[in-house]
Amino acid sequence: MAVFKDTEQMYEVLGGLFTSLMENEAVLIKFLDAKITILYEINDPKGQIWLAPSHGVVCGPCDATPDVTMWISGDDCHRFWLKELKLPVAIAMRKIKTKGSLPKVLKMLPLLGPAYDAYPDIARKHGLPIK
Amino acid sequence: MSYIDLNIELTDEHEQLKRETHKFAKDILRPASLELDKMGPDEVIKSDIYWKAMKKGFELGYHSIFIPDTWGGMGLDPLGIHIVLEELGWGSADFAVAFGVSCFPAFFSSMMPNEKLIDEIIEPFCANTDATFIGCWGITEPDHGTDTLCVGTEHFDHPEICCQVRATKDGDDWIIEGQKSSWVSNGTVATHAMLFLTIDPSMGMAGGGICIVPLNLPGVRRGAPLDKMGQRALNQGEIFFDRVRVPNDYMVVDHESYTGMVDLTLATANASMGAMFTGVARAAFEEALAYSKERIQGGKALFEHQNIKHKLFNMFQKVEAARALSRAALIYNLNNTPPLTHYSIASKVFCTQTAFEVANDAVQILGGIGLSREYPVEKLFRDARAALIEDGANDSLMITGAHCL
Repeated sequence: MAVFKDTEQMYEVLGGLFTSLMENEAVLIKFLDAKITILYEINDPKGQIWLAPSHGVVCGPCDATPDVTMWISGDDCHRFWLKELKLPVAIAMRKIKTKGSLPKVLKMLPLLGPAYDAYPDIARKHGLPIK
Repeated sequence: MSYIDLNIELTDEHEQLKRETHKFAKDILRPASLELDKMGPDEVIKSDIYWKAMKKGFELGYHSIFIPDTWGGMGLDPLGIHIVLEELGWGSADFAVAFGVSCFPAFFSSMMPNEKLIDEIIEPFCANTDATFIGCWGITEPDHGTDTLCVGTEHFDHPEICCQVRATKDGDDWIIEGQKSSWVSNGTVATHAMLFLTIDPSMGMAGGGICIVPLNLPGVRRGAPLDKMGQRALNQGEIFFDRVRVPNDYMVVDHESYTGMVDLTLATANASMGAMFTGVARAAFEEALAYSKERIQGGKALFEHQNIKHKLFNMFQKVEAARALSRAALIYNLNNTPPLTHYSIASKVFCTQTAFEVANDAVQILGGIGLSREYPVEKLFRDARAALIEDGANDSLMITGAHCL
């Protein structure tokens, strides 16, 4: 059984995670400076989450052009933000696929670091499984 | 000499990058590598010429082209990376490889950054401007060479075949024991290694790990610098590990994801070699073209002889084909994870073979003087010959690549 019961719940949890991240002024400034538009193409449940300097956090279709696209399942997204799935493992096991300049992908990693700290509480609040 | 770029969408920044890197390659790297080529390997690393060239490269940031500017790296886009690597290769294959492998510990750390790696590896490496933080890629061993890279081939998962450098867990640390062979580029001058080793021998080579190892730790010992035929200004040498204790944070990849990371490493390294040796091929072509227009034989310039023109045009075509393939492979594979590694392999094999053939033709066009050290073509020929084996022997790489077809 998938971690997220439907797309709506996934948007609520992951969209909420990224929205709270952008409320952190230091993160927001770095994100705007980086000028990187990220698209998470998520399957099971199917959905899109955009982090775009021009649009902010958008759950669902958006008319921006991604610099980096990451394909990942909802379950693996959950495990990734819980630090249960490390990036090299995810890459090696083909659980994450990325398209976009590698330096941009790598540049994005430290920007999203605070999301790791915030995610367990958000997941717990929504009753998602945590080991 | 420069070349017509068939990419009509090159930005002003790319053009500037090409000009600046070419100037560095022409003014610093080419003359330094020609001088160092005449020395023994011990003399090379004692020479001011070597260290001035290395320091200038670090000062200009060429050691950090793969690393995002978030950490202080140059953070070039894939096309920019190709442009730089081709120009560095044009100037000196020796230094191009030295700068390329130097970034490996910090580059791979930037893929899985933790606080310790950020503070102790990534940021200090990017900030280094005097070549006092030099990386190396410790993979090759006395008993293992290209076979360490052949993910997907039958032997890779064979439990009786695994790398001899072993890591075993001891509390929160890892203990490393074993030897890397003479072919480790930057081996005797590096301060840090990105070390490929065995964690779970029952999995064969697939049971490996990747560890960042500061080479000033107790138990690390170096061999003598290798005396070799080509790329003589590139320092290479053995590294020995005698129960070297490394903290867990430095083991960036374990056996769970080792295979995928070997694949990613090979895709990046081979794509880079393709770009560098496009530069070597171009250097040899340009030398031969210039000479053919000066040298008079039979009452006219060599260039006016039909068979020389034919040969030069063939060389020109090969250089252009090498650039087209190496750029496409590098740009694709630095834009897609997981990469299509067989395209990087195709680039490496094709471009190093092209460099060898073009340098061979250049020696032939120059005639007797081409064999002498008066012109750089004999060095380019030796450098290109080494590249048919370096970074994976072409024959074996092709077998690995063929598994993806």
